[in-house]
Amino acid sequence: MNFLMLSCKKASELIDKRLIVNLSFYEKIRLRMHTSMCDACNAYEKQSSLMDEALHHHISKSDKNKVPTLHNESLKKKIKSNLK
Amino acid sequence: MKESSIKINSSSTLTLWVDLYSDKLYSWAYHKTSSKEMAEDLVQETFLAAVQSFEKFEEKSNPSTWLFSILNHKINDYYRSSFRLPTVNESNIVDRFFDETNTWKQEERPHEWDLTSDNLLDDVNFLAVLDYCLKNLPDSWNSAVRLKFLEEKKGEIICQELGISTTNLWQIVHRAKLQLRKCLEINWFTN
Repeated sequence: MNFLMLSCKKASELIDKRLIVNLSFYEKIRLRMHTSMCDACNAYEKQSSLMDEALHHHISKSDKNKVPTLHNESLKKKIKSNLK
Repeated sequence: MKESSIKINSSSTLTLWVDLYSDKLYSWAYHKTSSKEMAEDLVQETFLAAVQSFEKFEEKSNPSTWLFSILNHKINDYYRSSFRLPTVNESNIVDRFFDETNTWKQEERPHEWDLTSDNLLDDVNFLAVLDYCLKNLPDSWNSAVRLKFLEEKKGEIICQELGISTTNLWQIVHRAKLQLRKCLEINWFTN
């Protein structure tokens, strides 16, 4: 049985690793087994995907027309003087 | 003669574009970098690049779209160039969370977050905390996380651009998320 057991440290690594690379079949099974028994890693898994969703929403999906407009007159002057 | 007339034309057009679009470009750059100085630099560089490649701009395309595409390239370049491999010190951060048996330390164990509030992801206060937490990451981690989510590129492509292995990348993202989780918990979910 021991060869199937993951530590929390390793399980949390796999949870984030799969965002970048596909896990092997063996890694997937070991992770499933661990999270089904470990409340802390189960919570981490949910929080990790919430963070992905939040980062995706905030960084990638944000719409340039929805960003609050900031006014910067000194920047305008600076750029215009560089254009001359 | 012809060359100078193009030059006059481009500089008056660009001056107009500064008035019309620089605030929007600046706001976008600030949103993406959370730094006023960096946002100003990026917008200045955008207009410099626009001057240099003005002849490539086709009248039929939309100036705003064109300027934003230059700016987005500049933002990506900025995160690529600010990336460096983490130092040993930064790698040790993982050990703060786990004990010698590689189990969560008692005080670091994740507990379910209360997600009852609606539309968390549209809550400006939550997004401000998220920005704050991203800013508090080591620079290289912040760059790696932002590059991952800026263009939703595949892991392998980001690794090629940064010249690192996929193992490096997921380890960096993992460390960043452990720290981000902790920061969000302290500053948002325990209130």
